[in-house]
Amino acid sequence: MNNQKIRWTIFASLFAVIVVSYIITLKWRIPTSPSVQKSYDLIESLPPSSMVIVSFDHEASSLPEIQPISYIILRHLFSRNQRVIGMSLFAEGTAIGYQTLNKLAAEYGKKYGEDYVFLGFKPQHISAILGMGESIRQVFPQDYLGNYLAEIPLMSGVENYRQIAAVISLADGDRTVQWIEYTGKKHGLTILGGFTAAMITTYDPYLSSGQLYSAVGGIVGAAEYEGILGLPGKANRALLSQTAAHIFIVLLVIAGNIAYFKRRKGGK
Amino acid sequence: MDWGAVAAGLLTLAIYSFLYRDNPVYKFAESLLIGLSIGYALVTFWQTAILDKLVYPLFSHGQLLLIVPLLLGLMMFSRFSRRLGWLSRIPLALMIGAGAGSAIPAMLYERTLRQVSNSIQPLVTAGGQFNFSGLVVLVGLLSTLAYFYFSREHKGFLGSFAKIGTYFMMIFFGATFGYTVMSRMSTLIGRVDFLLTDFLHYLK
Repeated sequence: MNNQKIRWTIFASLFAVIVVSYIITLKWRIPTSPSVQKSYDLIESLPPSSMVIVSFDHEASSLPEIQPISYIILRHLFSRNQRVIGMSLFAEGTAIGYQTLNKLAAEYGKKYGEDYVFLGFKPQHISAILGMGESIRQVFPQDYLGNYLAEIPLMSGVENYRQIAAVISLADGDRTVQWIEYTGKKHGLTILGGFTAAMITTYDPYLSSGQLYSAVGGIVGAAEYEGILGLPGKANRALLSQTAAHIFIVLLVIAGNIAYFKRRKGGK
Repeated sequence: MDWGAVAAGLLTLAIYSFLYRDNPVYKFAESLLIGLSIGYALVTFWQTAILDKLVYPLFSHGQLLLIVPLLLGLMMFSRFSRRLGWLSRIPLALMIGAGAGSAIPAMLYERTLRQVSNSIQPLVTAGGQFNFSGLVVLVGLLSTLAYFYFSREHKGFLGSFAKIGTYFMMIFFGATFGYTVMSRMSTLIGRVDFLLTDFLHYLK
């Protein structure tokens, strides 16, 4: 078989493994990691009607990974009757954030402007993060729909970070680092992260130092959270495919190594 | 019928057709993605930066102070002129100065001092127990730093210690690569989920 055919076979086999394992439904218990448990415990411990900022700091390309995290965290927030201020520090995250908030809020019968609001996107994310510490209305005079913040009931009495219980940054890059750097020491904000798996090692040092309160990482993190809440969703289903794909890749690596050493031995 | 889902499904398949070989259908989907992304970003920036922060407050609410950033912004375009190009240095200097002023203290504290202080852990805890992870952090930190110490030749103790640093780095790179593979698999699973549920309606 030539290289091209080997490549096609690998792609087709991997696709088949993922599709078949995705169709199969298995009930399994996923052990919870300390960081996901800490995220859950924090939201549980917040008094009802606490103000929580959920920042959609990601692009559309990372939606398959971030969406299960944002869904389960918002479900938890709305089920605990917390008030959510949505925003985005990425242009592409704006429409995604607005749609996600509306969808999840509708599930729990939440009303726009009273239980949640979406402020939209601000360019120059560092200025936005710093500015919100002085006055949220200065940075976002209007919400995503063009309503003035002064006219939105949810925002009455919300001046700056002093009224915010926690910030949840859903990121596929280093935007959460900026939340940590520009609000950590100055405002002492509690910051939770929801990341793609690729970013987990980037945020590990911030987690162990306590600068980042807790994190939910990748599909696994979302599946763990779904497990604690007792709401198995897409992350739970995707985990079997994830496991099957990893096993398949490990087998390919082993097969590749065997083929390489055989060829080298034959050459000698 | 949800035409949005149909279009998204067909475009997903068009993108994956590249796995077979480069083809016009893939090229079309790729160009569409790039064009839409740039167009969306451009419109969003125009609305949130130019209109919301400058045009409406200046012309509708008479905030005359905004003439200053307007002029500074226009000065940026002087780079296109050889004669007036020097003017662009003024807004650039302001941007760099303000950026460095706000970034340096924050980064120095959060990215450097807090991280360094967390790396220095007592090897024996208050309860008298040996802190093994503290030792791993200490050896990992010092040996990795030794690898990047180029003022002396990496021979003898320094060479051996720097070698240990490379193993720590390899573990880090391996973990990062593993997580990245996991991330890419999640993206593929996400598209499979979309194809099976929203596009083909095979799953609910």
